[in-house]
Amino acid sequence: MKETPNFTGWHAVVLHREDGNTEKLIRQLRLLGLSATLQWAPLSAAGVPDIVIVDADQGFDDLMPWSGSTPTCPVVALLGSEAPGRIAWALAQGAGAIVAKPIAASAVYPALVMAVSVHQERKSVAERLQYLEERVRLRPLVHAAVEKLMQAHGVDEERAYSILRNCAMRRRLPMEQIAAFIVGGIEPLPEAG
Amino acid sequence: MNDALKIGILYSTTGPYGSMGRDARDGAEFAIAEFAEASGCPVEPVFFDPQADLAAYLEGARHLLRAGCRHIVGTITSAARKEVIPLIEKHDGLLWYMCPYEGFEANENVIYVGGCPNQHLLPLFEHLIPRYGNRPYLVGANYVWGWEMNRLARELTANAGGEVLGERYLPLEETAVERIVSDIEQRRPSFILNNLIGPSSYAFHEAIRRLADRDAAFRPENCPVVSCDLMECELDDIAPGAAIGQLCAASYFDSVATSENTDFKQRIVAHYGAPRRVSSVFASAYTAVRLCVDAIVAAGGDEPSAVRRELHGKSWATPFGALNIDQETNHAALPFHLGRINTQNGFDVIASRPPLAADPYLTGRNKPALPKLRVVS
Repeated sequence: MKETPNFTGWHAVVLHREDGNTEKLIRQLRLLGLSATLQWAPLSAAGVPDIVIVDADQGFDDLMPWSGSTPTCPVVALLGSEAPGRIAWALAQGAGAIVAKPIAASAVYPALVMAVSVHQERKSVAERLQYLEERVRLRPLVHAAVEKLMQAHGVDEERAYSILRNCAMRRRLPMEQIAAFIVGGIEPLPEAG
Repeated sequence: MNDALKIGILYSTTGPYGSMGRDARDGAEFAIAEFAEASGCPVEPVFFDPQADLAAYLEGARHLLRAGCRHIVGTITSAARKEVIPLIEKHDGLLWYMCPYEGFEANENVIYVGGCPNQHLLPLFEHLIPRYGNRPYLVGANYVWGWEMNRLARELTANAGGEVLGERYLPLEETAVERIVSDIEQRRPSFILNNLIGPSSYAFHEAIRRLADRDAAFRPENCPVVSCDLMECELDDIAPGAAIGQLCAASYFDSVATSENTDFKQRIVAHYGAPRRVSSVFASAYTAVRLCVDAIVAAGGDEPSAVRRELHGKSWATPFGALNIDQETNHAALPFHLGRINTQNGFDVIASRPPLAADPYLTGRNKPALPKLRVVS
C-alpha cells in the first residue's frame, strides 16, 4: 500500500437496525474520521454516500438503489449468518468486504480499505471493458477503411493498416475515428508515405 | 475492596528484548510498591514471563485472567499484543500497553500509553528531512513494527519529494548485518531509519560505527542512525562507544529536564537506595501501572468500563507530565523528544515538543495526516 488510506470527511450510511453492533461500528467509524447515518430503510438513489455498510443477515432486495451487483459506491456487508443464501445476497449487492458479527472494532478499518479498493478496481475494469467493447464494435469500420486504402494505393493489407495507424497517430485520434472519416469520404485519403 | 487488587504483569525478562522486559517489570514493581506505601491498600502483582515465546503470551494472558486479574500491564512487541488482545476482549479485561508501536489500532479493551507514528515517526521526519536530506535508508525488524514503520517512512519520503535508497529486514536475533552495511556504504543515504529490535539493532550500530571509522560520511553528524525504540537500558548491550552521537525519538528520556521527572527520579533513588538510569520502558510501565491502579481506586472497582470512564475524565500527573487519555482512541497524548546518545550511555535531549494527541489511523484529526516535508538547505 503506497498511500495510507484516509477516510476523514467521508459519509457512511449503515443500513442496519440499531443494536450493540451498530453502536460499536459507529464509534469506530467516527474514530476513523467518518460521519455515519444509521437507518433501516431503503437507500435513495439521490442520497448515495461515500460508502454503504449493510446488514446482510436481514437485508432485502430493494434496500439498495442500484440494480445488480454494480454499486455506485463501495459496499461492506455485516454478516452473522453463514448461510450461502445470505453470502450470495451480500455478493449480489456488490459487497467488496464482509465484517463478521459480532463486530470486532479491529475488523472495521481493514474492511473499509478492502471494499474501497475492490470498488475502484471494478470501476476501472468496467471502464476498460467499455472502451474495448466500443473498439470491437467499430472493427468493421477499420476493415472497410483498410480495404479502401488497399485499392486506392495498390498496397497489401498490412501496408494499408500501417498507413491508417500512422495517420491516427499523427492526428492523435483513435483509429476507429480516422477509419470512419475515410469510409465516409470526409477525409482525403492519407498518402502512402 | 476487601481482597487485594490483582494486576497481571506480562513481560519477557529473557530473550532478545529481555533488557526491556526487565526494566518494564522493575517499573511496574516500583509503581506497585509506591502505591502500597502511599495508600496502605494492598495490590498484588501476578507475574507471567513468556520468555519471548510468542505462543506463551496467550497462555500467560489466560493464566493471569484465571488468577483474577482483569487488568494486564504488558507486552512489548506488537506481535505479542495482537496475540493477547482477542482473549482479553473476550473476558472484558483491559490491556495496558505502554510501548511505542506502529499505530492502526484503537481497541476498547486496550489503553495505549506508548506512542503511535504521529507522536514519534512524523515529528522525527519533520526534524530529520530538513537537516539531513530526503534520501533515507530503512532497516527494520522482520514483523509488523518494522514493516509498517518503514511503509510510513516511505510515504513520508515520497511526500517530501525524496527517495528511499534501500529497505532491509532482519529477525530480532540476527546479527549478520554486514551485507546491509555494505549496501548502505554504496548507496550513501541522507540518514538511516533503524526499526531493528534487540541484538540485530545492537550489531547494526556497531557495524555502522566501523563504517564511520573508515568513511567520515557515515559519522552520526553526517548520516545518523535514528531509532524510535532504543532506550537507556539497552545501551549497555552495545559495544562501548559504538552508538555515541546516534539519535532516538521517545516520549521519555532519563535526562528530560522537567520537575515531574526530577521528582520521579528522586523517588526512585529513595526506593532503590541508589540512582538508576531510567529508561522509557521503565517510566511507561510505571505510568501504566499507576494509571491503572489509581483509576481502579477512583472507580471503586476494577470493572473496565468504569475504569475507562475515570481514566478519560481527568488529567493525570505522571513522569511524562500531565497526561490525558483520549476517550475515542484510548491513547495517551505524549510529548516528543529527540535524544542523542552521549558518552555516558544516556541521551542528551536535542529537541522536544509538548504533548501531541494520538492519531492512530492518521486521519489528520489534529493536522494534515501526512505532512509534505521539504529539504531546506
